[in-house]
Amino acid sequence: MNARLRAVGAWFDQRLPISAAWHSQVKDYPAPKNFNVWYFFGSLLLLVLVMQLASGLFLAIHYQPNPHLAYWSVLRGIMNDTHWGWLIRYIHTTGASAFFVLLYLHMYRGIMYGSYKKPRELLWLIGVAIYLLLAAEAFLGYLLPWGQMSYWGATAVVNFVTAFPVIGHPIAEWLRGSFVVGLPTINRFFVFHIFLIPLLLLAVVLIHLIALHQVGSNNPDGIEIHGNVNKSSGWPVDAVPFHPYYTVKDTLGVAVFLLVFFWFVFFDPHAFGLLIDNLNFSPANALQTPPDIHPLWYFLPYYAVLRGVPNKLDGVLAFAFVFVMLAGLPLLDRNPIRSIRYRSLLYKLNILAMPGSFIWLGTIAFGKATEGNMVYGLHVAEMFYLTFWLLPYFNRVRPKWATILWFIVLEAFVWLIDYWMFYTNAHGWDVMLRTDWIPALYIAAMTLPALVVPSLIHDVPKLPERLTAGGLLH
Amino acid sequence: MPGLFRHKGWLAAGVMAATCALAFTGVASATHPANTKPPLKHININLNDTEALRTGAVFFMHTCAACHSLQGLRFQSLASPLHLDDKQVEKLIMVSTRRPLDTIVSPMPETLAKGYFGIEPPDLTDELHLRSADWVYTYLTSFYADPTRPTGANNVVFHNVAMPDVFAHLQGWQSPVMKPGFRFDKPAQIAMGVEPLTKGTMTPEQFDGLAKDLVTFLAYAANPHQQLSQQIGFWVLIGLAIFIVLSYLIYRLYWRDIVMPHGQRWWSYWKKR
Repeated sequence: MNARLRAVGAWFDQRLPISAAWHSQVKDYPAPKNFNVWYFFGSLLLLVLVMQLASGLFLAIHYQPNPHLAYWSVLRGIMNDTHWGWLIRYIHTTGASAFFVLLYLHMYRGIMYGSYKKPRELLWLIGVAIYLLLAAEAFLGYLLPWGQMSYWGATAVVNFVTAFPVIGHPIAEWLRGSFVVGLPTINRFFVFHIFLIPLLLLAVVLIHLIALHQVGSNNPDGIEIHGNVNKSSGWPVDAVPFHPYYTVKDTLGVAVFLLVFFWFVFFDPHAFGLLIDNLNFSPANALQTPPDIHPLWYFLPYYAVLRGVPNKLDGVLAFAFVFVMLAGLPLLDRNPIRSIRYRSLLYKLNILAMPGSFIWLGTIAFGKATEGNMVYGLHVAEMFYLTFWLLPYFNRVRPKWATILWFIVLEAFVWLIDYWMFYTNAHGWDVMLRTDWIPALYIAAMTLPALVVPSLIHDVPKLPERLTAGGLLH
Repeated sequence: MPGLFRHKGWLAAGVMAATCALAFTGVASATHPANTKPPLKHININLNDTEALRTGAVFFMHTCAACHSLQGLRFQSLASPLHLDDKQVEKLIMVSTRRPLDTIVSPMPETLAKGYFGIEPPDLTDELHLRSADWVYTYLTSFYADPTRPTGANNVVFHNVAMPDVFAHLQGWQSPVMKPGFRFDKPAQIAMGVEPLTKGTMTPEQFDGLAKDLVTFLAYAANPHQQLSQQIGFWVLIGLAIFIVLSYLIYRLYWRDIVMPHGQRWWSYWKKR
């Protein structure tokens, strides 16, 4: 029996490299020993991707991409009349939010441990592409229930392109397939959501994994595992085989994640309007604009940026610039030390302030669109951008005159933006001065302390070569 | 200041705490109300209260369903949550011309409704999600007499509502408690509550109970799967908890011999660093 099974295996192996792939990519694939809890999110993202594809398949079977039927088919057909439809839909809606929770944590892991540094720059860029695709996927899917927020959210986002002169309006019409969001829009958004973007997403995720296995995983210490091998076995000293060590560890991660995930699915699928917007329980009405049009929680920081910039085109550019900065991280941070563990205190605080200001932006977007709130959002957005722009400052220990120069240039930039808004009558100083201290104080806090206590910008000296990205600066 | 550098962990924690505190004061100072909102009355929903569900369902069918649909529910599907058999559903809940598997649809034609009220009365299936239980409860009990309105009635939580006060004969008419506030950023007199004006056929306690029963029924309509979901969810979470324990034990079993890069076992690795 055993011999016969082996013969069947050999038959397949001669025709498809199953065993070879299993050994090279899983069984004998060296993964660093020292992964911590931040390294669960990659495998969990794969799990959520599969869950979204599976639940989405069943939802697509029962869904009607038609303005007259869409709301009915989701809120009545799927929720009430399809067996287990409510469960499948709640898995899909909770999964969308889980995707972004895990993705933001996964990205932050990369930022903390320098996973975008040599040789993983391309891996990082592919990851940014996945983030973009996922954002598109979430936006397209959000139109499908055809509720008030779906309709007006799609209307507002498609109108971003009208900010561009001359070509803007024709492009918006081309995207919608109509003068307003309507039947052609819901049809194409449905097709993009279930076919085009998932296909691209799967392809890019596969490329992300291939790129990962080409360069190997980074780790919390930033150790390069490939140089340091056991003389007799040739196996990297700092690594363990991916299977069984990380398959059992990731199983634990999956178990914990599913517990939290299904708590939301079964006990609180709406989460006070965080996972499913309350206003989306009203069918789309083209004649009734809701009091404010806001995205779900994962896009709220971007919403605050858009709202903060008085000019629409500038707002769209500022919003798109976040993706440019993310993609540009390997160029901004060129310090050879990978892990945040061996970086200076001020650098650590700056890396903490990056998600801190991003979440802060999200909380501002919860507030009403008053003038004070818009300016407040702009100033916190400036702080968020500054956490990126300060990265080159931390590339090496700067002399005192350079620190002062960085301080002056960044402060001048922040105050010039305010002066420009005052000059164009966008806002008065009385409103702007209320929150101006945020970016101004942040620049001061990140640069000036080093003048008094130079050790605040000193990274750990004489780090072994294998903990660094290898002489990027030398 | 070498001492400062030694305590950098505490310093970082302090800076983050200060930033969070500033953020919260900033949020508090930057939001000021554009509209004065009347306080909402709180209601605890208990979907296991069969008596409340029955009272709410019967009242809904005899009063609300004249104008409002409830298309998320079918007559027959009400039998199990209300603990009634099909005959009783037919007798108590169903409108004579409907069949058991029909959804609850108002007999009022859309065009006529628009003529009467200027707007089609909304389907109430998702009302509890769109608003909240507290809001609907406050809304149902906060109609007041307003001679400037075509229907003679207005509502505390829904200014210039199109719906007439269908509870006036039960609850009696109410008069508003006006207070100065803001509407659309402009100073205005805002109705912040109601007080009784005339007597109805029900005592205030009886009417309050009826309103609560109605909200409970609407809460069921919005979440017909909630009880099933929580029953399944309980066992799924128990199963996952067992899964966590098992996978943790297997993880410990496999990893106990792994020597970490710094020469320590993995569990003492973090302490020594």
